[in-house]
Amino acid sequence: MSFFGFEQQTDLENEKRKFLEGGLSGASQDDVAVFTWGEDSYDGLGDALQEGGDELNDETFGISGPVGKDFDFSGTSLPEHEKPAPSEHAQASQASQQVQQSSQSAQRTHASHLDAVWSNKSPFSVLPRSSGPFRTHDHLGDSASKSSLLAPGTSQSTSAHKPASLSLGADLHQGVHTLEEIEREMLAAAAAQHQQQLQQRQREEEEQLRLQQAQQQLEQLQLQQQLLHQQQSQAQMPAHGLLQSPSRTHAPPRQVPGPQHAAATPPPRMHPHSQSPRFHQQQQQHQIHLLQMQQQQQQRQLLELQEQRERQQQRQLLELQEQLRLEEMERQQQQHRLQQQQMNAGVNELMQSHLIHQRLNSGGLSPAFDSRARRVGRQSPLMTPPIQVDVPFAQNMQYLPQNIQMQQRLLAEMAQAEFLNTLQSAGLPERETRESREVQEILRVEAMRKIMEAERMEEKRKRRLDKIAHMSRYNDLMTQSDKDFITRIQVSQLVTQDPYADDFYAQVYGAILRSRMGLPTSEDRVLKFGSGGGVGLGLGQKVPGRRQSAMQRMEAQVERIVNNARLREKEKSSLNNLQGALGRTAGRSYKAAPRQLLQVDSNNVSTSPAVSHASAAHISKSDAARAQEEGEGAAREAAKIGREALRNTADSTGLVHRDPLTHREALVKLEQLYDLVLDLEQRRRDQPNPEDIEDFEQWTQECSTLIDQLFDQLLVSVPLEISTPHPFISLITPIKGKKLLPRVARLLDNDRMQILLTLLVACFSQLDVVIQAPMLDTLEETREIKDLESQTQAFLGSVVQSILPVIAKAQMRLVTGLFGLLLDRNDIVAIARTRPGIALLTLFLSRAEVILQNVANGSEVDEAPTPDELQSWNMLYNHLFELLRPHLPLLFPSVRLSMLSGVNFTSIPNSDVIDQPVWQFFASLACSANDTQQQVLVGGLRDVVLENVTTATKGMGLESEERRRLRLANVNLFLHALGLDSSQIVI
Amino acid sequence: MDSASNGIQEPFDLIRLSLSERVFVKLRGDRELTGVLHAYDGHMNLILSDVEETIMIVDQVEGVSEGHTTVNIAKRKMEMLFVRGDGVILVSPPSRG
Repeated sequence: MSFFGFEQQTDLENEKRKFLEGGLSGASQDDVAVFTWGEDSYDGLGDALQEGGDELNDETFGISGPVGKDFDFSGTSLPEHEKPAPSEHAQASQASQQVQQSSQSAQRTHASHLDAVWSNKSPFSVLPRSSGPFRTHDHLGDSASKSSLLAPGTSQSTSAHKPASLSLGADLHQGVHTLEEIEREMLAAAAAQHQQQLQQRQREEEEQLRLQQAQQQLEQLQLQQQLLHQQQSQAQMPAHGLLQSPSRTHAPPRQVPGPQHAAATPPPRMHPHSQSPRFHQQQQQHQIHLLQMQQQQQQRQLLELQEQRERQQQRQLLELQEQLRLEEMERQQQQHRLQQQQMNAGVNELMQSHLIHQRLNSGGLSPAFDSRARRVGRQSPLMTPPIQVDVPFAQNMQYLPQNIQMQQRLLAEMAQAEFLNTLQSAGLPERETRESREVQEILRVEAMRKIMEAERMEEKRKRRLDKIAHMSRYNDLMTQSDKDFITRIQVSQLVTQDPYADDFYAQVYGAILRSRMGLPTSEDRVLKFGSGGGVGLGLGQKVPGRRQSAMQRMEAQVERIVNNARLREKEKSSLNNLQGALGRTAGRSYKAAPRQLLQVDSNNVSTSPAVSHASAAHISKSDAARAQEEGEGAAREAAKIGREALRNTADSTGLVHRDPLTHREALVKLEQLYDLVLDLEQRRRDQPNPEDIEDFEQWTQECSTLIDQLFDQLLVSVPLEISTPHPFISLITPIKGKKLLPRVARLLDNDRMQILLTLLVACFSQLDVVIQAPMLDTLEETREIKDLESQTQAFLGSVVQSILPVIAKAQMRLVTGLFGLLLDRNDIVAIARTRPGIALLTLFLSRAEVILQNVANGSEVDEAPTPDELQSWNMLYNHLFELLRPHLPLLFPSVRLSMLSGVNFTSIPNSDVIDQPVWQFFASLACSANDTQQQVLVGGLRDVVLENVTTATKGMGLESEERRRLRLANVNLFLHALGLDSSQIVI
Repeated sequence: MDSASNGIQEPFDLIRLSLSERVFVKLRGDRELTGVLHAYDGHMNLILSDVEETIMIVDQVEGVSEGHTTVNIAKRKMEMLFVRGDGVILVSPPSRG
């Protein structure tokens, strides 16, 4: 357990020094100073490194998993943007290295490998060590390959630029260079430029301080520069002592060695494989004990360190002055070298590679900084973001924060300014300068674009990671059994007696969707259980996967619940379970109001109480009771009607009038009708196999009984004169009554529909949409108008649509009969002014016309009307024509509106649309008209036609081509029926 | 007509009659709604369409005796509305006429 002692950190220093001294290869290390610090504090413990007893470290401290910071009590977490990016990696990497060192006795054999890690300048090279289980990465190749391996994952644009930087490296040195070396050079150049920039502004330190205050993002960058100074001075003053990071002035001192931090036990439930906390309980207790010891140690250490730090700070300030001077000298040398490079390599490549390496390095200023930055990171563990340890992606996140982006941008700009300066001072020919400047400009734009793009991407990723990190706070708060418990509760609320009906809309919608997508309309998506209960599954899932397995889990859960419920049901059915049940309510209050556990229903005592507890039972039960009562009611009603009829025939004074249905009565009856219709529709879905004769027989029987009942309750067969409006008309007055009709029409046979149609025609003027239709002749928009409008639409869409097939199949006799009835019983002029009326008249006229055409063509001979029928039809037609003759233009809603409002009818908004049915009516009227009637029609509608054609052709008052075409089409519809065309009209 | 022959057994059966009809809903917080009722459940959650909400804002003027309050009425209209049942005081058909 060597890394429990904090001195171990100095061991690490020592190790590191050894590596660096031993493994320095001149070419790659030329601008890296020899590190000899740490000697003062070196207490020789490293020599006596305790090697044994480490086998269980990983298991104990969960090194392979993410590390929680639950026991990181010392720190106030830093704001997000202040997170020092490279140091975290450094820390993590060191942690891994220390683990390696302590667990591997043959350190020297790994020296070269470790050295490569130490001297690797790209912080990305340490990524895998901190991100994954460390041991798996032990044998990664040299750092160059690592960085090239990892770079694409971190920044996508990097890989694209890689060739450029490689070619640059070859140009410069005429030798084979590793990517690492090239990187280092480029970074050195970048750093040098930056330094020069600062140099030009008089005193560097003042500038830094100012920047420090102004820009938090620059802070990190400066820290690294200061580190560089320090290290340089340390190289000259070997006996300097402890590493004194100026960063300590910013970061609260807490020297926790890496491994300890990394090995901190995850909080109980954060343990990677803790599905059940009990499983690990023992281990945890042990860990907690250890952690408490650690904390005590840490606190002691902290106090000591604080004192140390204060002393060091003062020393440091003095040293800084010296360091700065030294560093400036070196900068000038670098600057000189850089200029040569620029001349050689050309602006283009250099620029690009700069950008790459700035990004690659993610804020690392110069290659030499990285190793130091790592150390800084280790010394200020507090700067570790609180979230990082928990999140698998956190390692990437460190490269994303804004300060890095700012640095990148700053550096890019500085580099550009630098290039401009050097180019000018180099005294290139003017033309070349200009050209290169243009090239530069293009490149600059390009580079900026790429930077922005990369930043956007990074921003996006950052947001995502932030979200994941945010959510991961709650990871593993619940165990699997907790979750199962919740699922059970949720599922138990979904189980119903009739899963299909309870999930009806989703089921039907899903079926429609599937058929539209061309998928086979599979079975109902319902989970059914033996007991008759089930769960509707809603819409089908397109993507299998997590959801699928969740479904299966739920299935198992539900099975269990159902079985349990069945057992309980059994218990319940025994009476002793009801002991003390009086006044108690059933536990489940989600379906409806809490109901009494003991329910005594006076209406049907026979029903067992257990049934009434079943979730959906109370509805079906009440429905059944209602149906029963309805039956009785209907019978009573029928008897009464029969008596009345008898009485009527007896005294032959006519029919006895009854009060019409009140609105509420109509609504009640409608609900009953809806129940019937729903029941019938469900039965039609449950149609048994026709080959199963017995079942099918029974099913047919039941259905026909229900349909009879339905027809009875529609009150269609009640005598016409029983009330005004007729009960059936009252039934279709509410909008849901109108909407019920198409559903009823599907169930009723043709004969019954003809009866229904006859009744409708006979009582047409009693319809609300006909009576109130004049109200629609207004341009106002009140609630009433809107409601009436929707009623009218519903009538046209539902009622007319459901009688349409009846009329379309009707023979001449029926058409004549209905037409006669319509003319006889209604004020045809009033009806013709309504949209439903126009629709009905058009229906009859066009059906008659079709029959006549068929006769003329000789087809459909069996439908051929008798001469009598033809004659009566002609008579009726003439009658209609004569009735309408004085009012022809008034049938147009636009004309009526213009009379009311004083506006010309052509200027009525939307006039063409509202007039269209009337034009259709006139067209069908004109078809059947004889010559005289046609002349009358033309004469009566002359003004309207002319006005419409004029405005349509001249475009007066018509904004759009669309309207003009519609208007002409309307007129032509009528004119074509007369054998004319609007083009013949000369204006 | 007695309630049995109506098939009305529980209060919700009355609300059922108003399905797809215009209803008047009184809510807590001096609010009223009129709209077409599309659905309801046991919590009296409602789904209404074509809704007009009327909000009564009672301003008690300082220094004026009790009862001298000004009532401002704010109205707004909504296409479709989900009303949470816990705010519902009353559901009724709108007064006719």
